[in-house]
Amino acid sequence: MAKTILAVDDSASIRQMVAFTLKGAGYEVIQAVDGQDALDKANDHQVNLVLTDINMPRMDGLKLLELLRKLAHYKNIPILILTTESGDEIKAKGRAAGATGWMVKPFDPKRLLEVIGKVIG
Amino acid sequence: MAEMQAADGENSNYDYATHKPVVIEQDEGLCTAEADEYFMNIKGELGQVDRLVSDAVNNLVINFKYISKLTKSHHDMVLAIEKMAAPEGSKPILELLEKQMIIADKIEQELEMAITSLQFGDLVAQLLAHTAGQVEALNVELQHIDRKGVWKEDAGKNALGAIQNGISKAAEIAKTKSKKKPVVQQGMQMGDIELF
Repeated sequence: MAKTILAVDDSASIRQMVAFTLKGAGYEVIQAVDGQDALDKANDHQVNLVLTDINMPRMDGLKLLELLRKLAHYKNIPILILTTESGDEIKAKGRAAGATGWMVKPFDPKRLLEVIGKVIG
Repeated sequence: MAEMQAADGENSNYDYATHKPVVIEQDEGLCTAEADEYFMNIKGELGQVDRLVSDAVNNLVINFKYISKLTKSHHDMVLAIEKMAAPEGSKPILELLEKQMIIADKIEQELEMAITSLQFGDLVAQLLAHTAGQVEALNVELQHIDRKGVWKEDAGKNALGAIQNGISKAAEIAKTKSKKKPVVQQGMQMGDIELF
């Protein structure tokens, strides 16, 4: 059975590029437009990995990360950050909030799939 | 901006009753109608760039997905023809099909590389929002200076100092961590990856 990835980004083009890459590799993809949307969808689906942006309206990626980690199902689910931000301070915040890894945009599809494969096996 | 006004209409630069030039301040502060228009224009143009880039990216993504779909169909078709052309004596056809397959693979590789480049719209949109925020911060600071009235009381060094302080303050706000530039990438090469 295909593994399900929740892809969260307010940019439609990024969501489409992520979905295109992941679906091409056989993953099921659920898309969310911001943290709040992702939180709603995370409650409705069994997700194997969350891939989220940081800067988003309504709820940002760090808040989403913090709230997901409080949910029983998402305590140990890999949560990867995919963002334009590359500062040490914000990375440290992400790490402290429970992020599994940090990827800086733009992403390379092969490397993205390698990293995802590595964290969800 | 100051302007001379006539007391009796004979000379617009002179008050005949007091025998002094008359000064009327029309736009006393920094935030004149022209300044407001200037800021509005900058914001409007940043918004226009954002819409243009967004529109272009949306179209490129549609083109990308369509080309990708066609490439997959082409790939499948070459495979199907290859199976049909298997009997002996069709060597030239098989060679041609092999070449077709190499081309299809190359197109797929190029499309994969385009995925990285097509993410430029997101970077540009974030930079534009950041720049619009800086412009807004400067506008707010100028309004703040106007409200304090320092500018009107002292047209000399103090006013100049207040302007410079205000601009420095706006620049300082732009440098603080909450206003930190969200995009530092200078090109579209792949970003770093770090697993915690």
